[in-house]
Amino acid sequence: MSSPATGPRQAALHVRHETRYEHGAQVVLAHHLAHLRPRETTHQTVADWQLQIDPWPDGAERACDAGLDVFGNWRHAFSHARVHERLSVVSTFDARVTAPDDPGPGLPWEDVAARLRYRAGAAMPEASEFALGSPYAPRSAEFAQFAGDLFAPRRPLLDAATALMHRIFSEFQYRVDITDVGTDALHALQLRRGVCQDFAHVMIAALRSLGLAARYVSGYLLTQPPPGQPRLVGGDASHAWASVWCPKAGWVDLDPTNDVAAGCDHVTLAWGRDYGDVAPLRGVIRGGSNARPVVSVSVTPIVAP
Amino acid sequence: MTDATSDSGHPADPASAAPVQAGAATVGRFDELRGALVEPGAPLRGFVPHWQQLFDTLKVDGNVDAAELASRAARVLWRVREDGATYNVHAEGVDAVHAWPLQLLPFIVPADEWAAIAAGVSQRARLFNATLADIYGAQTLLREAVLPPSLVFAHPQYLRPVHGLVPPGGVFLHVAAFDLARGPEGRWWVLAQRLQAPSGLGYLLENRLIVGQEMHEAFAALRVQRAGASFLSLLDGLRALTPAGDRARIVLLTPGPRHETYFEQVFLARYLGITLVEGGDLTVRDRQLFLKTMQGLERVHVVLRRVDDEWVDPLELRSDSALGVPGLLQALRAGEVVLANVPGAGVLESPGLAAFWPGVARRLLDEELLLPASTHWWCGEDSVWQAQRARLADFVVAPTFPASPTTQSFQPVVAAYLDAAARAALAARVDADPAAFTLQARVRPSETPVWDAGAIEPRPAVLRVFALTDGRGGWQVLPGGMARVAMRRDRTFDPWLSMQHGSASADTWVIAQGEVSRVSLLGAPLSASDLQAQQRTVTSRAAENLYWLGRYTERAEFVVALARLALESLRPAGADIRTLLGELAEWHGLVPEGTPTPLQSLRVFERALVSALPAAAGCTSAGYNLRALVACGHALRERLSPDHWRLMQELDNHFEQHVASALGGPAQAGGAAPVADVVGVLGRTAMHLSAVTGAQTDRMVRDDGWRLMSVGRQVERLDTLCHALARGLELRLHESEAGFTLLLTLFDSVITYRARFQARRELLPMVHLLVFDTDNPRSLAWVARTLRDRLRKLSRQDTAWADEVSAGLPVPEAWSIDVLCALDADGQPSAMIAALHACVDTVRNLSDAIGHHLFAHVAGADHNVWQ
Repeated sequence: MSSPATGPRQAALHVRHETRYEHGAQVVLAHHLAHLRPRETTHQTVADWQLQIDPWPDGAERACDAGLDVFGNWRHAFSHARVHERLSVVSTFDARVTAPDDPGPGLPWEDVAARLRYRAGAAMPEASEFALGSPYAPRSAEFAQFAGDLFAPRRPLLDAATALMHRIFSEFQYRVDITDVGTDALHALQLRRGVCQDFAHVMIAALRSLGLAARYVSGYLLTQPPPGQPRLVGGDASHAWASVWCPKAGWVDLDPTNDVAAGCDHVTLAWGRDYGDVAPLRGVIRGGSNARPVVSVSVTPIVAP
Repeated sequence: MTDATSDSGHPADPASAAPVQAGAATVGRFDELRGALVEPGAPLRGFVPHWQQLFDTLKVDGNVDAAELASRAARVLWRVREDGATYNVHAEGVDAVHAWPLQLLPFIVPADEWAAIAAGVSQRARLFNATLADIYGAQTLLREAVLPPSLVFAHPQYLRPVHGLVPPGGVFLHVAAFDLARGPEGRWWVLAQRLQAPSGLGYLLENRLIVGQEMHEAFAALRVQRAGASFLSLLDGLRALTPAGDRARIVLLTPGPRHETYFEQVFLARYLGITLVEGGDLTVRDRQLFLKTMQGLERVHVVLRRVDDEWVDPLELRSDSALGVPGLLQALRAGEVVLANVPGAGVLESPGLAAFWPGVARRLLDEELLLPASTHWWCGEDSVWQAQRARLADFVVAPTFPASPTTQSFQPVVAAYLDAAARAALAARVDADPAAFTLQARVRPSETPVWDAGAIEPRPAVLRVFALTDGRGGWQVLPGGMARVAMRRDRTFDPWLSMQHGSASADTWVIAQGEVSRVSLLGAPLSASDLQAQQRTVTSRAAENLYWLGRYTERAEFVVALARLALESLRPAGADIRTLLGELAEWHGLVPEGTPTPLQSLRVFERALVSALPAAAGCTSAGYNLRALVACGHALRERLSPDHWRLMQELDNHFEQHVASALGGPAQAGGAAPVADVVGVLGRTAMHLSAVTGAQTDRMVRDDGWRLMSVGRQVERLDTLCHALARGLELRLHESEAGFTLLLTLFDSVITYRARFQARRELLPMVHLLVFDTDNPRSLAWVARTLRDRLRKLSRQDTAWADEVSAGLPVPEAWSIDVLCALDADGQPSAMIAALHACVDTVRNLSDAIGHHLFAHVAGADHNVWQ
């Protein structure tokens, strides 16, 4: 694992995330739900967020119904009841990201798992919800088998989790044409191939199968790194990684697609149990053909004037 | 726990001198008839007063006459069939519709016991509403581990999109159902609750309407509480939650006719006077909910739903659901709709939570629970499972969760029925995933008398009761319920489990404490403004089905007549008739394309015509049209009387059976006999169809839906007749005696013509009768005029549209008969032929225009897009 401590500690980034639907036929009714507004975190502040939707949805100035979802992410809903054949949704914002401090190796992993198990009357950490299986990242013996040997007795949690990240990075092939948005972690584990979403799901499912809490982080990655830094994979689309819960350090973000801890190149958009909770844009439409959306993302450093 | 009970047989009861022979309940169970636990060796007691009273009303000459009970039970069955009360079973690929099994004898609850049940049930309803507000809000119960988070969060029906949602009035639950049983000591216990979209209210009504009447003497004598007021109060409560108040439109959202309890949904919607809709009938626009009707979009304020939680909104919940409405949760969040119940209560149905409710009641309500629940142990708590593991044989092992991608489910297992090895294997399964398992103490429900096969028998019974919101945070427990009684009394079956797989239903009588409420099931007298509001809504989907019902009925009649005509008259006919009938048969799909014409090979043509008749033949012949007609009827079942619906089903079934048997005999293959048989079948089918037409004209209310059906029929008729006449004239059929008669036959006008013009065979009188005569319901003038009238009445709110589309329609009576009958150089009435062809084009355009205008909302299916 390349330690975040060695890279730059802070970054100012401009993000543009465009989704285009070319339906190829008339759509008569469309309802959409977006997780496109980035959340503020302890390591990230956001400015000038804008959402451009073309054609503009129904309902004039209150066309976009904004709210927070159960995990505290922004959620926007909009709909079109007028006939249209194409739709474009563009989210732009500036983010200021600070790399987290090195969290250290953490507690022995069994101690963390024990905290997440229910005992009558004992107050539960909020992370316990993320120790349970979810549709894309269920608990299963296959994952425990895949990761079990890395979790030796009394091994510090973050040591073991980092080793797990490395195993996924080295045993899985990054391929954009094998899996799709419906692929779950079990299937991805069998394939040993996939994209960042699949890498993250496998890591989350493996941690959960050992009784640990892990969540899915949807976000972006700096497209063109500063000179001298290697270009990371996944920069030209929306990115995703895993986050593991540690009682002392809190949530620690690990990116198995790149085998790094999330640093100041990682812009957080939203988090949830898995992709299904925080898909950037999902919709139900009537009419149109089944054209896939075309997504383009650019993340560029903001150069001080 | 042992199951060493034995049936006590059916000894006569000398002590009570009861005029009724009724056996005692199983030892170790509470006997409802005698009001006591049956103990081994103890003498039988007499009947409790309310049962004695019930039997007294049935006495003839001091004795209850078995024949009297038998005839009443038979009448109950007959009325169930009359009402078309059914439940659908979809198993192993076979769809079966079963008559609703209804018991003659009611389940009776005395007044004081009911008061305790009602208090306990309404307390639990209040508790569950408060729990939902917490787990979808502040989550105090979870953070403090009053409820185990791993049980709630792992439940696939804990719906995260509902979190943060505050429904109108803070009411999450509007209708809650509780299954109760009376234990051996006489105490009532809660076994389970249904909180998503509980079924039973419709069946309860049906039960009451039938049993209340068949047992009316006892119903009056026992002073049974009425249920009507509760339904009215539920509707009032729902309206009170909307800003629209009394003007609120309420709909019942059904999963559709294939759902197992569709009958009761139709029944309930009719009874409550609310519109029955499917997901596709509704649409969300700008966070408001609308019903798609023939007249356009109409606002909906309350949805009473029978679609389960996860299926109500494909945008935010299950994206593969075709039963819901995209955007419904947004409308709910915006406070624009009352959804009864709010989705998300499925999690509280988990048996794993049963043991936690007393703690939740203390925490949220600061109250002790009034009504106990049967014992449950959730194995997800390590110490609990370890403590109970050795006692596994005492329990029923039940799934904590319903099946989902993250949870396993299974049929509950009575561990006592397993041998030691199987029990050990079960324990190992629990060890592997303890949270998925819940141990339930075995239930021994009380036994109530039922009338079965000529005797009064004690049978285990479970009672489903309903708590209904009053819209202001209060609850009303409907006095009554739906009792289920086990079909058999068999020690080797757990009564509670076997009841879930097959049981009869019994009306439930709650004895009144004071005055009997006078509110009958028919509700308050209607006012004049109510009557105006009673105009039945025609949804776009119903409109489309009604239109096609009209078209298919007409088409079926024509096709059956044409097939019969062809089989009867082709052999002796000349070339002109053979050509026309061959052409029409191919045009209407009575023979496959490319079949040799009757001129080429009469035998091959006939055989093709006959074998194309069944629905499965792949043609659009009689069977196909009858099947299509029935499919429309199926989708419209709630608008058809049971008789009417049965008639349509029989029509289809009889046709298929008789055609199959006419075609089936191996000895008859290709012979002349099947043609004669088939002509006979077609004749009977034609008669059957006129009964259907009769029901359509005379048995359906002439609302806009009916008008649309009539429009469909006239559109079809105009199309068919214009085409047939044009081709007949082109082929010069009017010039031969037989051809002339055939044209009159196609218009079903032979008798009229003969009566008026005897044997004259002239173009002018024929054209007058078939085109101009507005008294002849088959003349083009009559059909076109009826079509225009119906369209205009149908679109009275949009007369411009009606005028526009009917402007193109021909007005045959305004044509000049001399021009039409004028012959051209070839001796042909070419002006008339051209007018008829133009008429066919016009009517087809009209059909498209009707589709675009009136059913526009129906078109297309939703699909999902994900990034």
